[in-house]
Amino acid sequence: MVARGRKRVAQDSEKGILSPPGYSAIPIKFSEKQQSSHYLYVREHKVREGTKSSWPQKRTLFVLNVPPYCTEECLSRLLSPCGPVQSVELQEKPDLAESAKEPKSKFFHRKPVPGFQVAYVVFQKPRGVAAALALKGPLLVSTESHPVKSGVCKWIRDYADSVPDPEALRVEVDTFMETYDQKMAEEEAKAKEEEGVPDEEGWVKVTRRGRRPVLPRTEAASLRVLEREKRKRARKELLNFYAWQHRETKMEHLAQLRKKFQEDKQRIELMRAQRKFRPY
Amino acid sequence: MGPAHKGAQHRGTAGELEVMASALEGTGKEGKKESSKKRSVAGSPAERLLQPVKLSRAELYKEPTNEELNRLRETESLFHSSLLRLQVEELLKEVRLSEKKKERIDAFLRKVNQRIMRVPSTPETELTNQAWLRDGVRVPLHQVPYTVKGCFRFLPPAQVTVVGSYLLGTCIRPDINVDVALTMPREILQDKDGLNQRYFRKRALYLAHLAHHLSQDPLFGSVRFSYTNGCHLKPSLLLRPHGKDERLVTVRLHPCPPPDFFRPCRLLPSKNNVRTAWYRGQSPSGDGSPEPPTPRYNTWVLQDTALESHAQLLSTVLGSASGLKDGVALLKVWLRQRELDKGLGGFSGFLVSMLVAFLVSTHKIHTTMSGYQVLRSTLQFLASTDLTVNGISLCFSSDPSLPALADFHQAFPVVFLDSSGRLNLCADVTASTCHQVQHEARLSMALLDSKADDGFQLLLMTPKPMIRAFDHILHLRPLSRLQAACHRLKLWPELQDHGGDYVSAALGPLTTLLEQGLGSRLHLLAHSRPPVSEWDISQDPPKHRDSGVLTLGLLLRPEGLTSVLELGPEADQPEAADFRQFWGSRSELRRFQDGAIREAVVWEAASMAQKRLIPHQVVTHLLMLHADIPDTCVHYTGGLLDALIQGLKETSSTGEEALAAAVRCYDDLSRLLWGLEGLPLTVSAVQGAHPVLRYTEVFPPTAVRPAYSFYEQLRERASLLPRPDKPCPAYVEPMTVVCHLEGSGQWPQDAEAIRRVRAAFQLRLAELLTQQHGLQCRATATHTDVLKDGFVFRIRVAYQREPQILREMRSPEGIISLRDTPASLRLERDTRQLPLLTSTLHGLQQQHPAFSGVARLAKRWVRAQLLGEELTDESLDLVAAALFLHPEPFTPPSSPQVGFLRFLFLISTFDWKNNPLIVNLNNELTAEEQVEIRSVFLATRTKRPVMVIVTPQDRKSSVWTQDGPSPQILHRLMVLAAEALPVLEKQLMDPWGPVDIRTVFRPPLDMYDVLIRLSPRHIPRHRQAVDSPAASFCRGLLSEPGPSSLMPVLGYDPPQLYLAQLREAFGDLALFFYDQHGGKVIGVLWKPTSFQPQPLKASNTKGRMVVSQGGELVMVPNVEAILEDFAILGEGLVQAVEARSERWTV
Repeated sequence: MVARGRKRVAQDSEKGILSPPGYSAIPIKFSEKQQSSHYLYVREHKVREGTKSSWPQKRTLFVLNVPPYCTEECLSRLLSPCGPVQSVELQEKPDLAESAKEPKSKFFHRKPVPGFQVAYVVFQKPRGVAAALALKGPLLVSTESHPVKSGVCKWIRDYADSVPDPEALRVEVDTFMETYDQKMAEEEAKAKEEEGVPDEEGWVKVTRRGRRPVLPRTEAASLRVLEREKRKRARKELLNFYAWQHRETKMEHLAQLRKKFQEDKQRIELMRAQRKFRPY
Repeated sequence: MGPAHKGAQHRGTAGELEVMASALEGTGKEGKKESSKKRSVAGSPAERLLQPVKLSRAELYKEPTNEELNRLRETESLFHSSLLRLQVEELLKEVRLSEKKKERIDAFLRKVNQRIMRVPSTPETELTNQAWLRDGVRVPLHQVPYTVKGCFRFLPPAQVTVVGSYLLGTCIRPDINVDVALTMPREILQDKDGLNQRYFRKRALYLAHLAHHLSQDPLFGSVRFSYTNGCHLKPSLLLRPHGKDERLVTVRLHPCPPPDFFRPCRLLPSKNNVRTAWYRGQSPSGDGSPEPPTPRYNTWVLQDTALESHAQLLSTVLGSASGLKDGVALLKVWLRQRELDKGLGGFSGFLVSMLVAFLVSTHKIHTTMSGYQVLRSTLQFLASTDLTVNGISLCFSSDPSLPALADFHQAFPVVFLDSSGRLNLCADVTASTCHQVQHEARLSMALLDSKADDGFQLLLMTPKPMIRAFDHILHLRPLSRLQAACHRLKLWPELQDHGGDYVSAALGPLTTLLEQGLGSRLHLLAHSRPPVSEWDISQDPPKHRDSGVLTLGLLLRPEGLTSVLELGPEADQPEAADFRQFWGSRSELRRFQDGAIREAVVWEAASMAQKRLIPHQVVTHLLMLHADIPDTCVHYTGGLLDALIQGLKETSSTGEEALAAAVRCYDDLSRLLWGLEGLPLTVSAVQGAHPVLRYTEVFPPTAVRPAYSFYEQLRERASLLPRPDKPCPAYVEPMTVVCHLEGSGQWPQDAEAIRRVRAAFQLRLAELLTQQHGLQCRATATHTDVLKDGFVFRIRVAYQREPQILREMRSPEGIISLRDTPASLRLERDTRQLPLLTSTLHGLQQQHPAFSGVARLAKRWVRAQLLGEELTDESLDLVAAALFLHPEPFTPPSSPQVGFLRFLFLISTFDWKNNPLIVNLNNELTAEEQVEIRSVFLATRTKRPVMVIVTPQDRKSSVWTQDGPSPQILHRLMVLAAEALPVLEKQLMDPWGPVDIRTVFRPPLDMYDVLIRLSPRHIPRHRQAVDSPAASFCRGLLSEPGPSSLMPVLGYDPPQLYLAQLREAFGDLALFFYDQHGGKVIGVLWKPTSFQPQPLKASNTKGRMVVSQGGELVMVPNVEAILEDFAILGEGLVQAVEARSERWTV
């Protein structure tokens, strides 16, 4: 297998690295020690006319197949020789819009375990993209000067990071709740203001809060009403009153038996096929 | 039968291999699940799925014919349901002899008759002069003592008659036997032949001569001797046809005396027919002591005289009624599945036919009854009648000369007289066999009455081998030891009666002894019956000691197992002497708290595991004391599997005590939570949600006492951190506890806001617990970790309405509807269903103390096979619970061993495709509801998970198997279980002890494409491995209690972290398998589908590279780089990455 592996690598160096049309491939390795490399497939980020994309045209490099150990900082460092990098964003799958800029709370949103990702790298100048497309590599993720942690060291660091700071958590919760309470109070006030006040055409909105609350508008409530109606109707019906009803119940019973019999026969057929009747 | 069986087995294993191969290929076909499911519907009939029946309206409502109505009515009145009727009919078809075969057998019988009549006569000689016998044939009888009076000559039989089940048409496959009675001419016999085994000697010589001549004949494939029903004085000759019919039939020849030759009054159970003086080889002593009666010897002679009359009786009763014949055939299958019909003293088919005849004569069975009803009535009778106390008789004459039933009860343990009133048909049946039959009948009746389950399958199709039916098994070997035991037990008259067969002579007294000694611990004691051996005519008959081993099965009573004390009578009572005599040196005087001074026996047992094994102590002690059988001759199989769930250091306990300690600590904590002051809302419920709290964690947690020097310390947060330069610290898994807070209008109605409020509560909880009870706590947004007495609990605050709020959706019209979302389902599962399940199973453990052991062994095994992560913990616990709640046709297991065997059996045989596994926790589901569940299941089969487990709390969704296993994994599990079960059973039934009990716990590794070997230094649970390492690394724990103010490292398990990374990065290329209990290897299986070259697409570039294939550019996995990634991601943990196959080459 090793021999075969070598052969393939050799092939690559002869023919040059293959890449999908429109992309160029950059080999990337974790460090010097590795024999074979993954390939980053990069191209300039372009969208069709009319599609909205928040990534700046011309200056954005779209990168496929970023290995799990390659972080945003790391990618930024690797691509900086091509020109100054403005931002790097790693994503699970290609997405045209930039993710919400609002930082996610580190207490309430766990950092996901990274797999292979895609990246959008925004250079300060369009020149950077062109340089990156011509990059030959292989890129090294972890070097002497910038070691990247993996394995046991990484897990220990992650564990240390996961030990929470209760004070920070408290502060965050308090601020969130303050804004939330404020928002709710505003809504409440608005609702109160509107209550009982007819709109332009004279309609008054009836809510649960008023003096005479109505049924809540939920599915469960409407189902309950329907159910009650049905029961009422069933109570009024007479069963086995007319001769034809009698006849029909009997026939129904027979039909049930027949259906059961067919089902049983099918079951038996299956069991016979599974040789379930040999007691030895 | 031997070779046939072997052949079948071979076929079986070959089939399995094929299945396995296909399973391997199939692994990882998730993407194609839909298509494969469709294929299986249309594919081979064995894999077919049940479809809901669709009948057209016209078909459903057409006018019924008379015939149809009759059949329906018959089904309703004679059978339980139409399904049962069909099943019974199918079964009978399967076991019945076909007409074609009958013709062949009849032809063979006619030829046999001719050949027998042609055997030449011999001149008369003394019985002791056997020189006339040709070479190549040996007398099939142990002639001890050899000297005996009388003369013998061979004459062709006066009459050859077929007797037994073949004529009646009640013989069942697979072993068809035809019994033929040969009436010896009167000239051969002399007066007083009933005495001193003379008749039996002549009978044996008669057969020997016959055997010699018949063996010359090319008609016969084999001519061998055997014992009739295992009785050592009565050999019979087995004839099998030559050629391809060899396995078709066995003709058994039984010589019998001419009618009215023996005077019946000489053969009553109180009479002696084996003189002590002759038997012991002494000159007759004239002291006039009465000769001991020889009831069994007399019965054996009587049996031969009554062969024909019994056949006649049965044919008159059963002859015309097909229902009765069906019933007898079903009863025979029933006995056969329970291994009750074989050997000396077995409950044979003949006996059961006679029983049916008895029930007909007492009008308990009517001739118009169906086979099912006959089965049911007979079982009902067996269940309710104790033949050891109230014997029954087929004889209705009131002749005063006949002996009374009481006389028979004195001579035999079990009494069932035939129509002559002189012959006890159950003479060889021991009391324990009779009780076993009664026990089985009771179980079966309960099953038939319960109606919910598939009674037919459990009653007639499920085998009950001894090892799976009894909690503990013990073997006595070598059997020659029993000879000494007979002398020690003073059983000389019995030996004389049994013609020297010390095994059967000792059996009765030994079982009685053990039954008395085990007392309240024992539910039922059963013994194996000596097997009926066959031997070549040129060999001597097998010795008594050659009949293998004597195996006893104990069915334990869990309530009785908890006590270590055997309370005797008060010291001054007269019974005290008996008690002392019975228990010997173990009995001692003790003073009790109520002031009484009593004799008592105390057994040493500290833990639950040891208490379960007290029967072992009792048995070895009593056997040594009363029967001189040393403990080296007793091989006790009861706790052999315990080693696999034992803690790391202690070997005396299987962890029940450690689990109970953790549960006690949890109880304390919940009391603290209830009494907490200063929370804005009060606590409305505290519920455990962790396997430890339902006693099913394989390795129970111990109190943690970290050695601080081993760790990095994070002082400001009072926590310990692992250090990269040390081995991985001990694994501490926090036990989840769900803490519900009362509802209040103050809770926000917005999902995000609720999370913040919960976080605030977590913080407050930590604060209060630290302030009021001085506990070390650490709060996060979702939980609070609490360190209490060395145990770490993870308290999760829950708000009852939260799942509801997550479900709310607003439709465009403004109607609020409830729809399940993944988040709401997860929350519902974690905060409602899991705690409920945990408390229910906790309750189950209180009822069945063996539950913990069974569930843990089961999980241990599944995880050891590297499949632990595919099946949820809860689903396995529920399967284990099913063994206790639905034990039919067994009783709930009382030892982990038998429970584990049944787990393997269930896993390997359950038809998950067509059945949900219903686990009726707390008995909440009624029979009707279960029927309903089954029919709904069938209708919605394709939408349900592969493995469906239904509980009263979870009737629709099967929460615990929702996300797995995949069909391939389940199949793999079934194959593994099917292979493990026979191996393990064979090891446990091996009387010389298993070679290595852990064999079935070692996973086969040859199926994996890549093996990732891990370094033990960073496996925190290294010591839990199946083959526990002799030495492992220090894990930073103190053995002495130390200060515990810092939170230990929680849930830090590098292999798990590594696996999470691997699955995230390469989950769509490969499957990863690992044993979380100290596994040193990760098995990687490439998914064949993802190795198909893919077209170029931005979404499937993950880990792949572009190659040119046939001039086209396609993407294939970059395997070399991925293999190196395995090592990079697990730096420090991974020792080596071994690629073992080239299956990825495309």
